Amino acid sequence: MEEYVIKTENLTKIYGHLFWKKKTPSLDNLNLEIPQGTIFGFLGPNGAGKTTTIRLLMDLIKPTGGAAWVLGRPTDDVRVKQRIGYLPDGPAFSPYLKANEFLMICAKLLKIPSRDRKKRIAEVLEIVKMSEHANSKLGGFSRGMTQRIGIAQAILNKPELLILDEPLIGLDPQGRLDLMNIIEMQKEAGTNVFFCSHILSDVERICDRVGILCRGHLLCCGILSDMLSETGFRAVIHPGHDVLMQQLMADATGSTRLPDGGWDLAFASSEKVKGIISSYLEKNPESIACFPIRESLEDYFFRMVAQAGHQEQQ
Amino acid sequence: MNEVMAIAGSTWRRILRMKVVYFLLLCVFVLISSAINYDVLSLQENKPLMIDVSLVLNTLAVVLVVIAMTFEIPRELREGVAATLLTKPLGRTQYLVGKCIGSIITAVVISVLITIGFFVIFWLSFGESVVQSLLEAHLLVAASAIPMSAIAVLFSVLLPEMITPILTAIALWFAFSTSRILDSGVGKYFYGGVLPDLDLFNFKSFSMVSAGWPYFALVVIWGIVFSVFALSLASLIFRFKDIK
Repeated sequence: MEEYVIKTENLTKIYGHLFWKKKTPSLDNLNLEIPQGTIFGFLGPNGAGKTTTIRLLMDLIKPTGGAAWVLGRPTDDVRVKQRIGYLPDGPAFSPYLKANEFLMICAKLLKIPSRDRKKRIAEVLEIVKMSEHANSKLGGFSRGMTQRIGIAQAILNKPELLILDEPLIGLDPQGRLDLMNIIEMQKEAGTNVFFCSHILSDVERICDRVGILCRGHLLCCGILSDMLSETGFRAVIHPGHDVLMQQLMADATGSTRLPDGGWDLAFASSEKVKGIISSYLEKNPESIACFPIRESLEDYFFRMVAQAGHQEQQ
Repeated sequence: MNEVMAIAGSTWRRILRMKVVYFLLLCVFVLISSAINYDVLSLQENKPLMIDVSLVLNTLAVVLVVIAMTFEIPRELREGVAATLLTKPLGRTQYLVGKCIGSIITAVVISVLITIGFFVIFWLSFGESVVQSLLEAHLLVAASAIPMSAIAVLFSVLLPEMITPILTAIALWFAFSTSRILDSGVGKYFYGGVLPDLDLFNFKSFSMVSAGWPYFALVVIWGIVFSVFALSLASLIFRFKDIK
């Protein structure tokens, strides 16, 4: 098995690089290594180069420089696409085809054995909750329905790697929940997931690793929990420890009374508070439980992009 | 090969579901049938007129299918349909070949339908059964779809969407005019043989002399060889094209 599902070395894309056109750098020496068993969130403001990166990985566009590998194979290896599922941003399908006809064409292209095609198509339509529209023409579908069919064609071949470009766009809240469940199901089945999204809360919920791209440059990349810095902690005080609660209440930045009579207190990082809790815990080991509070991915994202902006100005 | 035929099949379905195709076929049959009444206007030349009309309409129908193909590939590229297909294990060459084969199949089927319709109307009008030379003439028209489709695919990949149909039509006109161009002194210097000689597929209706099935087979082989050349060129260009 390959060590990295996606690997890029100095991957660069400059649009209009022929001498008579204005050069528009979209991606600048991207170096990315995404290990196996990952749900990777690829983030960035509009125009950062996320879709360009995905199109380079899918060999839809050619790099100006550098190289990229997907599942250990160069991106221009047609055979590797049999192991990949791809959902483009704003999928477009032949409007005159019915949903099951389109999926049948995809099944043929993916070399799914003929005896398994119909069954697999029925399965994926069931997963994306589009079974009742199997015989409807794609041209009559709404944005959300088209997105669901897009997801269906992406998972049709039970891919090793799922690449999703803005998969949540166009979906209603139920559709978003369904897709998040599908992604988690795919992860449980051993599929690696690489996806771009602007909905940071969803990325934070399901991703193990994230990378943030800004103006073609990779600002940061790594394990999500390591990247988000600790801004404080929560202390859940069990009932019957009012003395401790009174000692801590003055320093708490937030407090919530729990249904069982206990308290949920939030604190900024404070050595004094930690000291009080540690000494109380020595005598009453099960009186309190502490949890770190990390900055949100959204806060981290804005911080990184702002830093990048300041560096560029300098 | 399955992948190529999957693309060809989707192209075939696309054209089959266009209502204008059925309208076109209806118009062709009406026009051929109306040639029965040419004896009112002509000097007993209604039979050759019907033959000429059928060959012209058959050729026009094939040309129209080919011109429709020049809209198909740019549309799929522009709308992102091609991008969805090309992210499957489908080579770019396979995609182009599939489109070409889809166009050829569609044009041939329409041409064969027109041929059958013509012979039925001819038999009903004059009581004459199928003449081999006429059959060859119509089948040559159908076979001309092979190099014409390849030209359409090449131009679709090479040229901007707006001018592809126009330049394809002009190119086909030149290809059908090969003998006139070569006969003229000026033409000899400009015509480099790059365009297919569609005169090879133009079996003059007045000759009524069978050229034989070996000629038909040779012309079809020539058409296939030319198509391979055109598609190879198209594939070379398409290989480096960014798919939006």
